[in-house]
Amino acid sequence: MAKGFKNRKEILQFIKQAIVESNDLQKLLTTFKKGDVLFKQGDPISHLYLLIEGTVNLSHRRDDGSNLELITLSPGHFVGLVAFTTGNNSVTTCITAENTIALCFKQDEFDQYLTANPKLQVPVQQLMLSNMSDRFLKNVQLESKMNALNKQLEDEGVQLKEAFEQLENSHQKMVAQEKMATLGELVAGFAHEVNNPAAALLRSSEMLKDNFMDSENATAKTEIFKLGLVSKPLSSSDIRSRMLTIQKEYPWVKERSVVRKLAQMPEEALKIINKKKKKIPVETLVQQFEAGKFIHNIQVASERIANLVKSLKSYSRQDRNVSDMIDIRDGINDTILILSNRLKYLNLELDLLDIPQTCGKMGELNQVWTNILVNACDVLPHGGSLKIRTRSEGDYKILVEISDNGPGIPETVLPKIFEPNFTTKNQGAKFGLGLGLAISNEIVRQHGGFIKVSNNENGGASFQIILPVKEC
Amino acid sequence: MDHQIYILVVEDELEVMDALVNDLEQFEKFFPVESANSAEEARNVVNEIYNAGNEVGLILCDHVMPGQNGVDFLIELEKYLDQHSAKKVLVTGQAGLEDTIQAINNAHLDYYIAKPWTKELLEDVVIAQLTNFVMQRHYNPMQFMMILDSVRLSEYMRTNHITDH
Repeated sequence: MAKGFKNRKEILQFIKQAIVESNDLQKLLTTFKKGDVLFKQGDPISHLYLLIEGTVNLSHRRDDGSNLELITLSPGHFVGLVAFTTGNNSVTTCITAENTIALCFKQDEFDQYLTANPKLQVPVQQLMLSNMSDRFLKNVQLESKMNALNKQLEDEGVQLKEAFEQLENSHQKMVAQEKMATLGELVAGFAHEVNNPAAALLRSSEMLKDNFMDSENATAKTEIFKLGLVSKPLSSSDIRSRMLTIQKEYPWVKERSVVRKLAQMPEEALKIINKKKKKIPVETLVQQFEAGKFIHNIQVASERIANLVKSLKSYSRQDRNVSDMIDIRDGINDTILILSNRLKYLNLELDLLDIPQTCGKMGELNQVWTNILVNACDVLPHGGSLKIRTRSEGDYKILVEISDNGPGIPETVLPKIFEPNFTTKNQGAKFGLGLGLAISNEIVRQHGGFIKVSNNENGGASFQIILPVKEC
Repeated sequence: MDHQIYILVVEDELEVMDALVNDLEQFEKFFPVESANSAEEARNVVNEIYNAGNEVGLILCDHVMPGQNGVDFLIELEKYLDQHSAKKVLVTGQAGLEDTIQAINNAHLDYYIAKPWTKELLEDVVIAQLTNFVMQRHYNPMQFMMILDSVRLSEYMRTNHITDH
């Protein structure tokens, strides 16, 4: 009579009882010592084992030679079941983990046993099924676990990729900052080098001027020379109208170049020429005036160089890691002077209201102004206007606003504008990695502030840099 | 010859304009020099010159100026002066590659002098360009023999069977 068993334990009990009652079965019992090998991977299996007592370990050797511990089987489990049912060689190696007793059924005699012991049929069948379903369940679990692990691996892969990209960005930023630092060093070095000859130039030209101005000699030549020393250049339209007047008043002067030179001379000088025209040729006195004018030009140009050098030194203050109480407007003015040629063809409107000093690094902030101004120049190649404003916002904030009347920034671009490596400039940008605004943004943030970009109502873009007022 | 051929200098910085005009002194007897401080003023001066029945033979133009820049000015002028073939020279330190290409392609730029210039280079360029101008406009080269490139002018006379009358 077939009896339904609840679990493996019950079946095992039943079989143990059956063994006690059957000599044949007792003959099939085999005792193994710990460490005995029941079968090896790759071998054909001759027996089907049913564990009665003890445990065995199943392991699988991989292609690379490493050993994979698979499972430990306990009493009530069949061992060698798969090979038994499929007739294939074993895919595992079975070694006892302790002293073990098992029923060893010879494969070809298995059916005989069951016929001889019919009451074993059902339990054995159930046991086999239970074993198979165990294995199946285990398989499902493993598949699920593998899937979860794969997903985890994938996620980690994505994280790694992101981390790598961030590292790349930081690296590039560092390289760009190194470049800027090197360039900054070169600029500062140049400024210092040029400073000395510029100072010498300025002093010498001023002294030369003073030297002549102090001369007590009261001759016409000296007088007219002195007038040249203080002359101011005239615009071309003024020269043109003056030339017409001179041509009328000095009809004996035939050379147009001389007429032009006379047109550039002040009334006093012309009086001297008139007075002496019988004794001293016009050309001689004009030449004297010119000599004075050239010295004046030298002095003016030297002053300009000296100012540029001063601004350059101030602009590129290399003490990067030292913060100081600064008036940001000084840096803005230095930057404008340095960039004056680039800004020349634009309408520049300055509205630098009073702002309190704050703690900051002037050299770094100058980079920010430079970056934004140069960007504005780039979008206005044929002219336009640029407004730079400073003002306080309450007691604790400073606002610097730079706005242009260019084409503005497309809405799709606005959110990406501070991203590193984002650029709308083509390959023509000589120094560009698309990092200018990213670095500027970082500089401002390190100062405790932030940059806001927006498009103006009536066209163009506006950069608002807010900085905190604080002590060093 | 009844009308004058002008040299026009367009430069916004007065000291630089002064220096350029001074360097052109030797040409002034034959080619009066006019100057302008901006593209807009230059346009007016050009109009005045042509209205007076004269013409512009050579323009020496800076690039970076307030308002319209030199290259744009020359390109616009090209349309206006189309049949008058004034020679165009950029004198600048600050025209980038793209702007210069524009000037060459769209304004038929004849020469580019980088600042700072030497007097010798400037003179050579002015002589060469005005020689070209004079030949292209089929003026009698005799009157310019003293000041322009006499070798090329003589050759021109020979090949065009011009006699000195």
